[in-house]
Amino acid sequence: MTLLLCLGGIWLLGFGLVRWLFPRPIGWSLHNILLFSLAIGAGAGVASCLYFLALMLVGPSVAILGSAMGVVVAIALALGFVTKRKGIELDWAEGSEDSKVPRYLIALFVVAAALAVIMFLGAITYNPHGEEAAWSIWNLRARFLFRAGAFWRDAFSSDLGWSHTDYPLLLPGLVALCWKLSGRESTDAPIAIAFLFALGTTGVLVSALGVLRGKIHALMAGTLLLGTASFVALSAALYGDVPLSLYILATLALLCFQDRHPDDLRFSALAGLMVGFAAWTRNEGMIFAVAVIVARAFALFRFGERNKLVPQLVRLLAGLLAPLGVVIVFKLRVSGPSDLFALPASVIVKNLADVGRWIMTAEGLVFVLFTMARFLIPIILVLALYWYLVRFQVDARDRAALLTAGIALALTLATQLLFNILYAGNLAVEISTSLERILLQLWPAALLIFFLASAPLQLIAPKPQKKANKPGRRIVETR
Amino acid sequence: MARHQFAILSLAAIALASSLWFLLDVLASATHRAQNFGVSAFESRFSDFPKTIQPHSVFGYLSDNSPSDPSALAEFHLTQYALAPAIVKPSVHEDLVIVNYHSKQLDMKLLVANRLRPLRGIGNGITLCRGEKR
Repeated sequence: MTLLLCLGGIWLLGFGLVRWLFPRPIGWSLHNILLFSLAIGAGAGVASCLYFLALMLVGPSVAILGSAMGVVVAIALALGFVTKRKGIELDWAEGSEDSKVPRYLIALFVVAAALAVIMFLGAITYNPHGEEAAWSIWNLRARFLFRAGAFWRDAFSSDLGWSHTDYPLLLPGLVALCWKLSGRESTDAPIAIAFLFALGTTGVLVSALGVLRGKIHALMAGTLLLGTASFVALSAALYGDVPLSLYILATLALLCFQDRHPDDLRFSALAGLMVGFAAWTRNEGMIFAVAVIVARAFALFRFGERNKLVPQLVRLLAGLLAPLGVVIVFKLRVSGPSDLFALPASVIVKNLADVGRWIMTAEGLVFVLFTMARFLIPIILVLALYWYLVRFQVDARDRAALLTAGIALALTLATQLLFNILYAGNLAVEISTSLERILLQLWPAALLIFFLASAPLQLIAPKPQKKANKPGRRIVETR
Repeated sequence: MARHQFAILSLAAIALASSLWFLLDVLASATHRAQNFGVSAFESRFSDFPKTIQPHSVFGYLSDNSPSDPSALAEFHLTQYALAPAIVKPSVHEDLVIVNYHSKQLDMKLLVANRLRPLRGIGNGITLCRGEKR
């Protein structure tokens, strides 16, 4: 019960914040589904940063931590619900009328969601502590933060270097915060957090595509994401990859909204915040942060919208600033050394010049692209078939956003592959264990791009128009 | 229209069929799981370990696993996970050393070879020993 209250408080914190930025009346609407989903990421990020700062400044005092959380939640709610300012209403895109959306599409989405929930529960029942990397990295760190009291820095001891003590703290901080506030340690907290992040990722994908392209594209993308068995399994493994995928997706979706509503720079500010939380989730998030800034600058420059470049980048960086500051403090004052930089330069140069490592990585990438996510038929082929049948049709106003997303994802992937080539000790093992995971971090955002670029779909034949000149209703022009 | 319907249905069919296939795997694993495997089972081996593990304390670690045994590293990591917030080092040169063995009886030759004195048998294949700190 206390865990539910704690998670509810964290979500309310996020909801207050995103509602303050994009206020709409409470009620069942696409706008509020988007806010609900974004709130999961925003609340988790803010709460985790707050927990870390409280640890740094006043130590592991539950009373102070609880009070600080209470005050921040109250402020966020006050901002979110008392605000008088008006914002843009995000609603279903054209073509989302019930008459144009076949019922079977909704049924397929519901079946995919039910299968995903059963799969998650089955996997988590079998393995409540998650897979090895979850308990030996994320939950081990959370245990130290929760159990060690004043010695919480032991979590980053050099004796625990094998546990990657340089990994950022969003996930372990959030788990430890829930344990602290609920007063007991259990596997329920990491499991509930993993479920919420998966739910948030699906919610952001479906609602963002609902706004940008309409109900059909939104339901298809949601069905495909929930039908991605490896994505659900990765979530149940309690790894940090699904939370990272939520932040990557949310960032790119918000930048898409920014291009649809160029005058409202709050989209860029919230996108910046999400980028910062990505960097606070995993080290790969820092790669994404750099990639998305470069991609955004290039895309705006490329499409001649140079007057928007500075204001948008300023807002993006302003949103990024606070979480990035937390990451920098963590890296400078707390974290253990990164094993990446332990390699001598001579080895890195040798790895760089080793053509075999490049070929092995390319082969591994192609192999994983054809086998990823345990689809019965390679999903890349099915998507190619979909493209052949439906084709792409990019709206002019989405070009900059699509280019931003495409470049950001490509740069993030390329940089991670390059890091593998340069630093991995056993490249074959690294490719076999991490490449699919890396692709799954980018998968929800890739689905956003794919369905945003996809041409409009016509699934129900338009009703024949009633004849205007029916007998008895003839309009006779009289003089 | 038919092209679009075919595109949609093929994509959804592949996703749902794959999902269902994987779900069967998950359910099969869940129903046929070995009782002595997993984090919870390993942690229960430490259930009789002294409850008062002080933060900042350090234990050495020794196992009768062969170094080439893939489970050796996982068991070391699990020991650290179970005993956090103490730090467990893969070394016998600590005041207190945890010996993790898999045979019915602890092989005393293993202790002698590593200059360890048994201090307390925890049961479940775990013994706490006194080591020589360097």
